Amino acid sequence: MPLDTSTYNLALLRVDGRRWNDLRRLHGQIRTQAAADGSSYLEMGNTKVMCVVTGPSESARRGGAGGGAGGPAASSSSSTATTPNGAEIAVTIVTGGFSTVDRKKRSRTDKRVQELQAGVAKALAGALHAHLYPRSTIAVSLHVLSQDGSLLACLVNASTLALVDAGVPMTDYLVACTAGSTSGHGAGDEGADPLLDLNGQEEQELPFLTLGTLGATDRVALLVCESRVQVGRLEGMMAVAADGCGHIRAALDRIVRDKGAQMVREGAIAKGESIGMDLD
Amino acid sequence: MATDSEMVFVLPGDGIDASLIPTHPKRPLRLGPGLRHIPPSTIVPTIAGQLVTDHKKNSLWVEYNGGRYIPAVGDLVIGQVDRSAADFYYVALSDYSSNASLPQLAFEMATKKTRPNLATGALVYARVSLANRHMDPELECVNSSTGKADGLGPLVGGMLYSISLGMARRLLMRKSVEEGRVVVLEELGALGLAFETAVGRNGKMWVNSEDTKTVLIVGRAVKETDEGNLTVDQQKKLVRKLVKEMS
Amino acid sequence: MPREAEPSLNEKAFFLQALQDGHRLDGRKFEQFRQLDLQFGDQYGVADVTLGKTRVLAKVSAEVTVPYPDRPFDGIFTITTELSPMASPAFEVNRPTEQEVLLSRLLEKTVRRSNALDTESLCLIAGQKVWSIRVDLHVLSHDGNLMDASCLAVVAALRHFRKPDTSMEGETLTIYTPAEREPVPLSWLHTPLCITFSFYGDEGEMTLVDTTLLEEQLKVSSCTISLNKHGEICQVAKLGGTPVDAVSLVQCASIALQKVKELSTLLDQKLAEDSKRRNKGGLLAELSAENAR
Repeated sequence: MPLDTSTYNLALLRVDGRRWNDLRRLHGQIRTQAAADGSSYLEMGNTKVMCVVTGPSESARRGGAGGGAGGPAASSSSSTATTPNGAEIAVTIVTGGFSTVDRKKRSRTDKRVQELQAGVAKALAGALHAHLYPRSTIAVSLHVLSQDGSLLACLVNASTLALVDAGVPMTDYLVACTAGSTSGHGAGDEGADPLLDLNGQEEQELPFLTLGTLGATDRVALLVCESRVQVGRLEGMMAVAADGCGHIRAALDRIVRDKGAQMVREGAIAKGESIGMDLD
Repeated sequence: MATDSEMVFVLPGDGIDASLIPTHPKRPLRLGPGLRHIPPSTIVPTIAGQLVTDHKKNSLWVEYNGGRYIPAVGDLVIGQVDRSAADFYYVALSDYSSNASLPQLAFEMATKKTRPNLATGALVYARVSLANRHMDPELECVNSSTGKADGLGPLVGGMLYSISLGMARRLLMRKSVEEGRVVVLEELGALGLAFETAVGRNGKMWVNSEDTKTVLIVGRAVKETDEGNLTVDQQKKLVRKLVKEMS
Repeated sequence: MPREAEPSLNEKAFFLQALQDGHRLDGRKFEQFRQLDLQFGDQYGVADVTLGKTRVLAKVSAEVTVPYPDRPFDGIFTITTELSPMASPAFEVNRPTEQEVLLSRLLEKTVRRSNALDTESLCLIAGQKVWSIRVDLHVLSHDGNLMDASCLAVVAALRHFRKPDTSMEGETLTIYTPAEREPVPLSWLHTPLCITFSFYGDEGEMTLVDTTLLEEQLKVSSCTISLNKHGEICQVAKLGGTPVDAVSLVQCASIALQKVKELSTLLDQKLAEDSKRRNKGGLLAELSAENAR
């Protein structure tokens, strides 16, 4: 499957016409599901993810049938991350069979899915103030509608948006982004450029990593790399990804603020003193 | 305390020679851990180990090293608070065994208003006050007859080390140097290290000192003695080596 | 069932205090491994790694099977991990914990996806007969740092393994027994090993390698880096936990490279020792006898 990215060297343009540090189009919505405590829909290029958050609600484990929280019980197929004396974060990822070209159904007990779930759950556990909700569960349910690269990053960003919508306190936006490198895994090749936000085609071919940071800082909450790459490339790729995370944070913040402003405008919520944002 | 000069080893289910069972004109015969009394007059070991008799106290028990801790009345243990309920603390004595309960009023000078407040994960030095085979054990941190703590109660600061049950017993012996053949603590003290320890029968040792290094030295000395089954001379050598290394 | 007790508050506080003073509980330096021992079995393809009190055993086996229809030219290579209750009561049979899933994914990514083993060389007759290489990993005793120990065991076992020699004459495939022809090693491309770093402190500012079980329970986050001695990263996994400074992660990568070089040297040395031991009185002895004459 030799895809052709060799044209990159000629025009410094990638297969989809972006330059090395361009993000793909990012489109997101929050509060898409009326019935959920928090929900979001996020598109990063052609990767499309929907997220629904239920909770914080009484832990399903402790046999709390009452309470009427009605959250989806932390089923065995979800991965959980517990915080000391805090809420348990249960993440479920469902991948639609139609999300890729080859229409292959991936079961929920697939180890790769479980690893993704564990990664998202643990990264969220580090960002959320879960200690405020002892003995409760925050269930994050992610649905992958379409995959075109940067899946883990998109999952993380979508769950951050949904958790903001659900009103769960967090230190900062947990944002993630991918970065690749045009070099092969061999040494040398000093002219290799880092690339930001890879699409599916590029992911097939180039070494890449997914980096999740807390806000626009350099503090790394999540770092996953699954391809062979020279150790010297790591720093450059991480720097580019961290930069991308900053841009994504701004974009997510815009989405949240726009929704807030819209709700005030529509009169869904009163404009109180606590809402310190300026409309327009 | 007069142990027989020759050691007697027993296996579970062995018969115990009548000559080995101490007889005392006044005191009743007391059976320690590892022995089971089948009425009317059979005594059967339930574990492999060394049979030890104490003629003065008219008691008989089996010394063994290993396995997990089984609570017995009167044992001093170090427990970790698992959670607290209205009147009790639930205290873990060892991993994967059910919790012991410690009444919140079983502390020195404790009343409804002045009872100590222990968080989850805090350590307590306690005595086993009730141990039945089919019930969760109960603990106390106060001598119920005198109302004194006798050194029991919450353990603040310091470090907890896990040691083998045999080592814990050796350290708890009244004359641990002569009979237990453990000299590390004495040797460390002689070298001018100031520290305090508490040993729990459940294979835990708590060490505290002003100086972190001292705690580390004591902990490592005892653990290495335990794991390497060191002789008295080796223990002395180890202590000298550790003190030199850390200072 | 009652769970394993978490470390007590005293242990947590003291451990952090000691780390801040620059001490580990067992007197090691922050970037020092425990006593590492690697033994090979009498059979080919058995490696037993002991790291302090952690012990893992890897066993490689090979059989001839039919390849997957979508990959007719590739041999089959699987790694299975078994965390049995023997290692710790926390593990249950037939119910993989998250730890087990992450461990097997790590090995998968480190060894399989990085193409350490050339699966095309396992093909005998395209679409009909291929070698199926299977690694079984058993954790015998668990005292922290399963990842690094397991990875070393798997890689060592695979490099030690010899599969029966085969030949093709026209349409007939012959598989020789060890008595007929000396078994041949697998076609091995590079040696990836992994190093796990654990972070401590509120900001994750202290970094330890080769943590014991207690240290592992107290970590705020961890990062596993797999690479080979040529400095090619095969896999990096820092799944959540307390965010850590990017700079310290880059430092970790360079420490990992240095450690991997040490481990690779040790592995090469052990393999050489083992082949020398096996070869005693074999071909070498015969040759030397001729030379003496």
